[in-house]
Amino acid sequence: MEEQIAELAAQVAALQSKSGVTNTMFAETFYYLTIPLMIIIHAGFLAYEMGASRLKNVLSSGVKNILAFAFMIPTFYFFGWWVYWGFPTGLPGAPGPAGISGVEYANAIAWGWGESAQYMGPNIADQASGVFFGAFALFAATTASIMSGAVIERIQTVGFVILAVVLGSFAWVVAAAWGWHADGWLVTQWGVHDFGAAGLVHAVAGFFALGVLVNLGPRIGKYNADGTANHIAGHNMPLTVTGLMLIIVGFWGFLMACVIVPGEAWSWFGDKPSTIYGTPITLSALGFNILMAIAGGIIGSWVLTRDPFWMMSGALAGIISVASGLDIYFPALAFIIAFSAGMILKPCATWLENRGIDDAVGAVTVHGTIGLYGLVMLGVFASGFPALQGAAGEVPTVSLIGQIIGAVVFFLLGFVPGYAVSLVLKMAGMLRIPEGAEIAGMDMVKVPAAGYPEGIPAPGINLAPGE
Amino acid sequence: MGFPYDEASWSVVDGAMYMGAGGAMPGLFTLIAAIICAAVLIFGQKTESAKTRQFDK
Repeated sequence: MEEQIAELAAQVAALQSKSGVTNTMFAETFYYLTIPLMIIIHAGFLAYEMGASRLKNVLSSGVKNILAFAFMIPTFYFFGWWVYWGFPTGLPGAPGPAGISGVEYANAIAWGWGESAQYMGPNIADQASGVFFGAFALFAATTASIMSGAVIERIQTVGFVILAVVLGSFAWVVAAAWGWHADGWLVTQWGVHDFGAAGLVHAVAGFFALGVLVNLGPRIGKYNADGTANHIAGHNMPLTVTGLMLIIVGFWGFLMACVIVPGEAWSWFGDKPSTIYGTPITLSALGFNILMAIAGGIIGSWVLTRDPFWMMSGALAGIISVASGLDIYFPALAFIIAFSAGMILKPCATWLENRGIDDAVGAVTVHGTIGLYGLVMLGVFASGFPALQGAAGEVPTVSLIGQIIGAVVFFLLGFVPGYAVSLVLKMAGMLRIPEGAEIAGMDMVKVPAAGYPEGIPAPGINLAPGE
Repeated sequence: MGFPYDEASWSVVDGAMYMGAGGAMPGLFTLIAAIICAAVLIFGQKTESAKTRQFDK
């Protein structure tokens, strides 16, 4: 009898071990797959920006976008990852109640040298750090790409890369530490809830871009002497719209990476997935709400514009408008909010344009304005939801005031560094290309290749059906 | 709408956890969303017809 019990116990232990291996492999694969999915976002931004550029700038826009991605990864490795873990409680980087933050903790896991380097490279005992780092690095690269579209056709390459590094490896990372971490002070003190990063990724990047645009100025020919704006059409609308659709595809990976899988030592739950705050979520919630938001945003934009560019921007705006609460929205409510975001999108962009801000792709509005709109909308509808594990009274709850405070902080974390660093670059002559080069076209000036060496055939006449 | 459980704690949640769960609001939201879809189609047909009529020979 004892032998049988011992044999049974051994079999149970073996099963537990196998189950653990399966779960660990699943968790690692889950985040690993979000990385190529998020790279699709960058394929989308690349197509979108190149399509939105005129023929004379198409390749230089591509070079800028590709280079931002390339610089984002190593700089996030060098210090961005450390910032995220080091400062959730703010300065000077004290440890938080969850025990996974503070400068000391960050020093132990996020530097690429000394003892902490074991978590920043191949390690058979660590199947999590690399895929987490990869997902976060791709979030960082997304912020740089958001800013990239707004500034096309007149920014210097190196100046842009410096701005991208400040945004992607610092500004948004501070926002994430404060509002997207169980120890983040915006969460523990104000109950800020931003599951899908509407504020801390989109709004920060959008308003960083606004700060840059103030110093960068509009493209030559954008405004008339009386201050009225001209539309500068990109050379390839189908490419732009397809790019936007690719961004939508990639966002499934982005939002999937916002989920913490269960059953691991670092998981919040043994039996169910959670948000980064440790509150429960399901991938089904994302399935319902993301799709309804895409639909609502497209329909809202179609009502006012009938323009495929704004319709696909509306899809993006739809997702962003409900991203903060994708875990808890009811799908029909997500649709309604996304519809309203799609409706206000173009008027908000026009308002900005009429104030002398030449945002070539509407990034400030789509990501900045709608990001903050979404953050505040969650405060309207989700007040009373616990922001962390535990009961109300023990943990903060989501509130309108908390969400507004989060919105203000995220706005400042984007706009202030964007404005300040671009001002310094402007004074150093590193922000804008010279007028002659802008008129000639940036491809001719600095890209040793041709986007369309044989030109683009354009009949120039409308053919009757059948001709 | 508030948290859909009497006790505002995630530990008591064992089912639906969306805003308005267990109440009438989800049904109302669904109705509004459906009305938006229908209204947009009616508006779209009206305005598009007006535009296409300008090209009638």
